[in-house]
Amino acid sequence: MSGHGTPGGYRQQSAETIRDRPQTRQSVLSGTDRANDHRDHAYADIDSDRWRDWGRDVKTHALTHLDRYLEEAERSLEASGVRVHWAETAADALTVLRGIVREHDVKSVVKAKSMLTEELGVNEHLERLAVHVRETDLGEYIVQLLGEPPSHIVAPVMHLSLDDCRRLFHERLGTPLDGDPETLVAAAREALREEFLAADLGISGGNFLVAETGTVALIENEGNIRLSTSLPRVYVAFVGIEKIVPRFEDLAGFIQLTTRAATGQAIGNYVSFIQGPRTDDEVDGPEEMHVVLVDNGRTGLLADDTAWEALRCVRCGACLNICPVYRQTGGHAYGWTYSGPIGAIIAPGLLGLEKSMPLPYASSLCGACADVCPVRIPIPELLVHWRERAVDAGLTSKVEGIGLAAFAAAAAHPTLYGAGAALLRLAPWQSAGRALPVLGGWMQERTAPEPSPKNFRALWRDGIE
Amino acid sequence: MSARERILERVRDALREREPGEHPGAFEGWRPSSSPSPGNPIDLLASMLESAGAEVVRLPTEKAATSWIRTLTTEFASVTIGVTVPRALHPPISTRGSHEAELGVSMARAAIAETGSLLMDARDGRRSQLLAPTHVVIVRAENVHETFLEALRSVRDDLPSAIGLHSGPSKSADIAQTLVTGVHGPGRLIAVVIGVGS
Repeated sequence: MSGHGTPGGYRQQSAETIRDRPQTRQSVLSGTDRANDHRDHAYADIDSDRWRDWGRDVKTHALTHLDRYLEEAERSLEASGVRVHWAETAADALTVLRGIVREHDVKSVVKAKSMLTEELGVNEHLERLAVHVRETDLGEYIVQLLGEPPSHIVAPVMHLSLDDCRRLFHERLGTPLDGDPETLVAAAREALREEFLAADLGISGGNFLVAETGTVALIENEGNIRLSTSLPRVYVAFVGIEKIVPRFEDLAGFIQLTTRAATGQAIGNYVSFIQGPRTDDEVDGPEEMHVVLVDNGRTGLLADDTAWEALRCVRCGACLNICPVYRQTGGHAYGWTYSGPIGAIIAPGLLGLEKSMPLPYASSLCGACADVCPVRIPIPELLVHWRERAVDAGLTSKVEGIGLAAFAAAAAHPTLYGAGAALLRLAPWQSAGRALPVLGGWMQERTAPEPSPKNFRALWRDGIE
Repeated sequence: MSARERILERVRDALREREPGEHPGAFEGWRPSSSPSPGNPIDLLASMLESAGAEVVRLPTEKAATSWIRTLTTEFASVTIGVTVPRALHPPISTRGSHEAELGVSMARAAIAETGSLLMDARDGRRSQLLAPTHVVIVRAENVHETFLEALRSVRDDLPSAIGLHSGPSKSADIAQTLVTGVHGPGRLIAVVIGVGS
């Protein structure tokens, strides 16, 4: 069992994952290797710099006119007969859902994969209301059966091996213990098909919401999103307010860019563009559709002059796949819905900085994430931004603050800096190091290199040999 | 003040000092200058669909399609048919409810060559596009667009409640990164393009 930690437990949760579940690291390394390889090929086929510039610029435009586009989206949705709700917090969003459940006497729900509904705690809420809720994406179905959250934005069970899945399906669906993936999938298809046909309510998130047409756009591979949004009589989409794009034709770029970054496909196998409930000239589809526009901390992020750039995120997961830190543990160690580099920069906005610690430090600042981001979010800069804020707020160890202050003072005074550096070059590192508190233990087994007698500037002046 | 007003107010406050960004204009699908020209849209559509695991059949006329469908449907006992499929293309086998039929036949409103996608309109019927294990989708050659952008522009002023882009058989690689088809949607997708030499 894993995945029930908190951001505050990150260090311990990481250590436990690596020590107690070595298979997790194996599964995540192989899964992310594949994803990185596919994305590299998909980027090589296109002028990826221009695509990513375009993605960044449309999102920046949309976010800097967000009030206008939210109002336009609301008008477009209402014109197609959609009921629009605004939720300031997770609790507000769940209250809206409870109203819909009561109004329609909902007994069973089929859910399309959605990170926002994870963030809001939709499943737990429905269970409290005694509503049967079923995740229908294969990976989400597996983590739901295990009682775990997803460990990756795009691939929820990247942390599991084939044997993990075989054991689970054997226990729950009666498939053989050595069943191949085809056998497991066939069993899941059969079990879930009944639930699709019986459900009263379908729930999805939204990859994009088009202001111009009120279109909720969704990307997937299995067909479960198309089914969840087509079969039940009532359909609810939860959409973060930052998901707005201005024009219907902007989807041409965002759908392709997102899938190339996420899985390396030219396009997701199924893409849904949903404008409203079924119309008079249609033979099927939901009779009623709701869109819940969710803030839950996003306006707080928008108000931050640096961190607001994180709101461009399209949730492709590329920054998780490439991150050398994420790759060691998978997502559960991070202790909340959004893991990896993107999680670390939106957590302080959505959870508050104190509750997000130490996630802004769960990175080596190597910069690989910024190189692959399809909307060019400067993730390392935002990590540093939150680290600075954490130091200012007194949330880090005192030593880091004092150390940074001392370095800043010395660096601003050349004489002081030179004297300090000379002292450090002459310090008896080997013996002094072993006598230090904390570091001493680490130093017992290690030797320190001999410092150069001359500083770098002197070496440069005299010519480096 | 309502939740709506409070959210919009916070957005306006946040943006007060923010420099607005310009919309960069239409997405033009830029490719490296070294990449080969995409060629004929129907060839591109077919190769994209085939590489995603779909089968593609090209036929010169609706009459040829009628006879092709008659031959194909000898393999199946029952069918569910989209409401916009021309009568001449209805297979001569018994129709069943979408959740019981072995075969679904639908009419695509358009297709996108660059992504290998069939654009399905909800007015054709959603269940018949999704529930049967094998899905035959018919598209007319004149409705095949080279780019995603052109296809979206062609439908923008007449949108149904939902559009589905189908670009291959249903698939998942969730279990141990092994690709499996036929997860929830049809495991076999056959695209029939009418109006081209076969």
